[in-house]
Amino acid sequence: MGTREDEYDYLFKVVLIGDSGVGKSSLLSRFTRNEFNLESKSTIGVEFATRSIEVDGKTIKAQIWDTAGQERYRAITSAYYRGAVGALLVYDIAKHLSYENVERWLRELRDHADQNILIMLVGNKSDLRHLRSIPTEEAKAFAEKNGLSFIETSALDSTNVEPAFQNILTEIYRIVSQKQMRDQPEGDVIRPDAEPADARPSQADSVRKQCCQ
Amino acid sequence: MESFQPEYDKNGVLSDTFWKTPQRAIPGRPCQRVGQSEVMSGSSYQQFQASVNDAWDLGDDDIISGIAETRISKAISQTVALNVINSHRNSNKNVNKSDVKVETDNVKSENEAKVVKRNEVKKVGSGAGVSSGIMRPYPGRPRPVRLSALTSREESNESKLERFQQLQENAVVDLNELKQLSWSGIPVKVRAITWRLLAGYLPANTERRAETLQRKRADYKHLVRQYYDAERDDDTYRQIHIDIPRMSPLVALFQQSTVQVMFERILYIWAIRHPASGYVQGINDLVTPFFMVFLQEAAPGEELDNFPLDKLTEEQRDIIEADSFWCLSKFLDSIQDNYIFAQLGIQYKVNQLKELIKRIDKPLHEHLQNHGVDYLQFSFRWMNNLLTREIPLACSIRLWDTYLAESDGFATFQLYVCAAFLLHWRERLLLERDFQGLMILLQNVPTQNWTDSNISMLVAEAYKLKFAFADAPNHLQSDR
Repeated sequence: MGTREDEYDYLFKVVLIGDSGVGKSSLLSRFTRNEFNLESKSTIGVEFATRSIEVDGKTIKAQIWDTAGQERYRAITSAYYRGAVGALLVYDIAKHLSYENVERWLRELRDHADQNILIMLVGNKSDLRHLRSIPTEEAKAFAEKNGLSFIETSALDSTNVEPAFQNILTEIYRIVSQKQMRDQPEGDVIRPDAEPADARPSQADSVRKQCCQ
Repeated sequence: MESFQPEYDKNGVLSDTFWKTPQRAIPGRPCQRVGQSEVMSGSSYQQFQASVNDAWDLGDDDIISGIAETRISKAISQTVALNVINSHRNSNKNVNKSDVKVETDNVKSENEAKVVKRNEVKKVGSGAGVSSGIMRPYPGRPRPVRLSALTSREESNESKLERFQQLQENAVVDLNELKQLSWSGIPVKVRAITWRLLAGYLPANTERRAETLQRKRADYKHLVRQYYDAERDDDTYRQIHIDIPRMSPLVALFQQSTVQVMFERILYIWAIRHPASGYVQGINDLVTPFFMVFLQEAAPGEELDNFPLDKLTEEQRDIIEADSFWCLSKFLDSIQDNYIFAQLGIQYKVNQLKELIKRIDKPLHEHLQNHGVDYLQFSFRWMNNLLTREIPLACSIRLWDTYLAESDGFATFQLYVCAAFLLHWRERLLLERDFQGLMILLQNVPTQNWTDSNISMLVAEAYKLKFAFADAPNHLQSDR
């Protein structure tokens, strides 16, 4: 184990996916460092960041992989879906194409990620009210139909960024801790070097079914 | 290393959705507008020829033929490398004596270079320890470009400048000699012309230069009219258009729409002419060094960070743009497989990097492996962007002096530069105790204060590695 501040009870790997320019890196920098740059450089391949949050007195460390949005990178980035227990699928509420492509990204996850991965649909740039091209209700309905949770965020003015990550991490935590209670926990701590996939939420599927009915 | 899987479905068939087929005309392919039967019929051969001749550039070949035979001998480039190490050692010695206690016990002759390096690591280490909390750059956080650094330094090296100038006075420039001279860095005053020569864009023969440049620049204008001003491929253009404004968000120079449109045209036309790869995010960063070097030539002595491009004449701007385009094209020729489907060239090099480090620095390799750090996770960007995201712009330009001077293209050499770059941080990496720490460091190596001399050390190290390992694949391979 490392020093005290490095200690944590759970380590969850989460991926950020979605079209180029929808604000994946901005969401990440807002969440992990509370920073925002109007124009941040395009992500090349994948980039990594981390932050810990508290849920029920437990420390949850999120290991977040930010991926490049361009199609050409998909062969590289899909390798990083392995072991991820959560995915934030981001689109830009002002760019219809980025919303249309959500279906493709879902297929991408189905093909390469763990089948129990929790997916949250994130409509980013909610500050661009006057440019909105996807009504909230439409995206919400789509999310429900596909068993995804849904939230609209703005990395620019911070709206809902914290809740977006909090919600998905808490949901993963609930599933994992339920599973641990049922499976006789071997210990509270998932070691940093252990494959994060160990925390795979095996009940995610059933939970998802419940919420979409 | 995690291997990737291309997009095959369960029947082993490539899925059709993600990898779109270009809808638009591709250079060298029969033009879509010409009917199939017409193209095939012998009578319209000329039509066919006219529809595909956009793949050729008049004069591409005659320029290349001049440099085909030029090879830089290993002995010579080694001498150059040693000179670099020696001069660096000398310049560093003074510094070390003044502020660092040189470890004298085990220092003798050939070990000296190593000690200098070790001290450097220490200095970097202690310096960063103080400031890392504030200064640490994060991905996406814009870094100051500090273009002013371009004009300093090296300029003092008058004798080197003279040698360049003498060499370039000849009716036919000896490219061999020019490469030897350039490998260790090119003085600012002659950099633009030297880059043109080394890229194979400018003929070695002085007499042919004016005519060639005129023709190539006119050709570029023609390409702009043919592809950029006409109906564009939406996907390619959209991606470029998204990426350009966010290249260097805090530098006023790059926020001018004049500059952004120049970059867009260069990249769009390059992408259309290279359909096997197309535009790949990151290639935009590879235009910048050419652009800066040619801009500096047009506006000597100016502060470039805020330079208003409208101060130049239209002709001057056209030259910067066309020359950046042609030099970029030549430059990328040897690494095109980096940007094709699945970026196989990079995957191959990442694997080579892993094998190399495993052979030459097992403790570091095992440290990375034990903490689950995969080479692809950190070195992909190094290779895709040729380290432009990892080092200051002025350092990239200095690094490209060497890349352009590499005899057989820099594709192989680049691997060794990445290896030397990784090894440079080994002490700090070995101090990191977990995956997070390693990855954060590897993605944000503290090079803010790097100067040309750091690059000279880096390429010298890379040269040593290449010399030792490139032609000896089994050297040190004890565990097989």
